[in-house]
Amino acid sequence: MINPFIYFLIFLKASLFSTGGFSNLPSLHQDLIGSGWAVEADFGQSIAIGQISPGPNGLWVISMGYLTYGFMGASLALIAITIPALLVLVVSAGYARIEQRTWVQGAMQGVSLAVVGLLLTVVWTILRQPGVDWKGFLIAAGAFGLALSRKVNILIILALAGLVGFLLYR
Amino acid sequence: MALQDPRPGKWQLFRIWASIGLQSFGGGASTTFLIQRAFIEKHKWLTMQEFAQLWNLCILTPGINLVALTVLIGRKLGGAWGVAISLAGMLLPSALITCLLTAGFISIENLPAVQAILRGVIPATGGIMLLVGLNFAQPLIRKGYKEGVPYLLGSAIIVIACALVIILLKLSVILVILGAALLGALFFSPKPAAPLLEEGEGISHD
Repeated sequence: MINPFIYFLIFLKASLFSTGGFSNLPSLHQDLIGSGWAVEADFGQSIAIGQISPGPNGLWVISMGYLTYGFMGASLALIAITIPALLVLVVSAGYARIEQRTWVQGAMQGVSLAVVGLLLTVVWTILRQPGVDWKGFLIAAGAFGLALSRKVNILIILALAGLVGFLLYR
Repeated sequence: MALQDPRPGKWQLFRIWASIGLQSFGGGASTTFLIQRAFIEKHKWLTMQEFAQLWNLCILTPGINLVALTVLIGRKLGGAWGVAISLAGMLLPSALITCLLTAGFISIENLPAVQAILRGVIPATGGIMLLVGLNFAQPLIRKGYKEGVPYLLGSAIIVIACALVIILLKLSVILVILGAALLGALFFSPKPAAPLLEEGEGISHD
């Protein structure tokens, strides 16, 4: 049984300690897998659905919420990603005072580096999804190359990958 | 600024944000572009300079930067109501569609064809995510080059250490971020640079 309050806190915690739409994944992964409220496959699926849905990238957690806890989960996830954003009002009030402190700039630099590390673990989590084999690694490399060229739309890359998957694994 | 459109009504503001949210496919870059086009170029409610200032505040805020930007622009254009309406417009229609797509997916996920397609799509999202990480790393690498080799090396060590302690030691993500902030404050604060030590994660320096 999912405890809605703890479920919400897991999403809120992940969101509060993240920057950008995906760096909340490692924390969610640890907590939701640990509690048994999500299975490994939910992550790959919700990120894939999030990529083809409109809205900011971070909305993949809405799909995660829906997959694991239905409409209730999606609503809790939506609230959880909205609350941290409101902190920008606090930041804008206190920024002038705090930006002068050099340790703040250093700490921000450290956090930015950690976020890059977190994103590497996101890649790791996705590539260890059930069903990803060496052919999957080639697909990942191809998608990376196409995205790097910045000439091909993300949706087209995903459609191509889906087509390749269909042809290889059906 | 003299030529800016009159302040938007509630319904107009909602419509603008909803159309931005619904047209944003493939992530942050397209959303940022749509926001700039609507608020700076079309209605002239913001200047590019104001936009850049707001964006800097969003980078310092936890969570999704674009949602924080929605809050700030909403406040500027309509106070507390502007914040609520902007958030609702940006998030609710897109979130609803995400739910519908997920529900649709659940109803067909057991079809072999869908499973096969997913086995292609999921690794592709991994490749795209690698690029997202690289984009985040780019300004840091540039800064590292400017500051010299020890700085660059220290940065690389922090990135790799963060990834490894999460994957191998399953250390709590929160601890890792706090540890990195602490290391950053100790070694990356501008001012005469302290000698760079190669510290492990999770060591407290009180």
